[in-house]
Amino acid sequence: MKLSEFEYMTPQSLGEACQVAASEGQAAQIIAGGTDLLQALKYGLKNPRLLIDISSLPDLARISYSKQRGLTIGSLVTLRHLAAHQAVRDNYPLLAQAALSMGSTQLQAMGTIGGNLCQDTCCIYYNLPPMSRQGLDPCFKLGGKKCHAVKGSKICWATYCGDVAPALLALKAELTIADQNGVKVMPLNSLFSGRGESPHNLQAGQLLKEVHLPPPGDARGVYLKLRLRKSIDYPLLGVAVNLLSNPGKGTLQEVALALTAVEKSPLLLATPPEIAETGDLAAQVAILADAATKIAHPIANTSGYSPRYRREMVKVYVTQAIGQAMALVS
Amino acid sequence: MKNITLKVNGEIYELGVAPNETLLDVLRERLDLTGTKKGCDTGACGACTVIMDNVPVLGCMILAVKCHNHEITTVEGLAPHGDLHPLQQAAIEHNAIQCGYCTPGWLLSAKVLLDENPHPSQEEVRTAIAGNLCRCTGYKKIEEAILAVANPEPVY
Repeated sequence: MKLSEFEYMTPQSLGEACQVAASEGQAAQIIAGGTDLLQALKYGLKNPRLLIDISSLPDLARISYSKQRGLTIGSLVTLRHLAAHQAVRDNYPLLAQAALSMGSTQLQAMGTIGGNLCQDTCCIYYNLPPMSRQGLDPCFKLGGKKCHAVKGSKICWATYCGDVAPALLALKAELTIADQNGVKVMPLNSLFSGRGESPHNLQAGQLLKEVHLPPPGDARGVYLKLRLRKSIDYPLLGVAVNLLSNPGKGTLQEVALALTAVEKSPLLLATPPEIAETGDLAAQVAILADAATKIAHPIANTSGYSPRYRREMVKVYVTQAIGQAMALVS
Repeated sequence: MKNITLKVNGEIYELGVAPNETLLDVLRERLDLTGTKKGCDTGACGACTVIMDNVPVLGCMILAVKCHNHEITTVEGLAPHGDLHPLQQAAIEHNAIQCGYCTPGWLLSAKVLLDENPHPSQEEVRTAIAGNLCRCTGYKKIEEAILAVANPEPVY
């Protein structure tokens, strides 16, 4: 596939990258590993005038960990490096599991954590080569006036399909965002707009610099990914759970649950307050499974299992993930 | 045009490339290294797998300009003087090649695996080549060939 022409530059500093990105606005795209962007370029879905290659910026590819402060991951860390890092494997195995579930060995070696979080949403009516799109009126995500996935919809229903985001949400991740004026820290959840056509809240000139996780404590987690094949596929449903049990009681003391591939953004479930008052694990699980199912809205915009099956699997995966995580905390 | 230096299979190449050329196209069209194959051209099949800086990557999904000053190994680099690499020899002995289109890709994925983990389990081999799709063999012989190089007796 021939890519359209563009200019290419490698900024020498994060500050320069932010400055160029801010002044170019929508005419430029940031490229790191490029595994998400190149799909869009090959299909002519994005046509930037300029690519800003940040992959060689110093200091953005480090991982550091301390028991007191937790884990700091530079946005350019590849998923392969992340999953292989001893501090991640020892202290945040949920994150390693999610990173290893993405794509394939090659894609994990190329793709960065920042790029994975900032990946575009997907839809079978959008992610098509130009010839296949000829027969379709442009949809909302292409700047048009309709949604092909949900007929009659007034909004875009493209689905967020990242694997790492739900794990990081369950681990209470925060992001450091850099722009020309400096840096700011925000919870990961604030990154996602919930809008299918533009899933992120970053303005031009803002770059994801670091991901930070608090110390893990005794919590343990599991990520389950529904997929047709054991590799390459995007999730058709992803459930990440991170939890603490009540010592000796076998019930949940604290739980964080996040979903992916069932909405226009990853979803961090607000833990229902009844969980704390329920003295039976099975009842707690049922409450969570029910709450998670209610916020999941899978759409017929993927190839693979039907939306109905994916929605039915929410409670199955919530139950399995909690069961597996409980076995890890005991 | 950007001037880049590529080190491919130990040789230095100085090239002028357009920013929109992929590494795969440069390897095949400009350097005549046609061992690396173009399958899906969209990052989903693994036929274009090459090794860059000791990790397996997809040539169709990397812009050539991003490879400036990086070391790349293609399938041609496995047998630089004509003597087959043990993985290539095992592929022949175990009938792991039918049409051969996926072969360069998985050979390199397997090389990275064995370089890091000389005695992988069957599961580790499967994970390592999971990004290399094969339409012919059903993967069993590929697995056997890699395990034969890794272990004297296959582990099942």
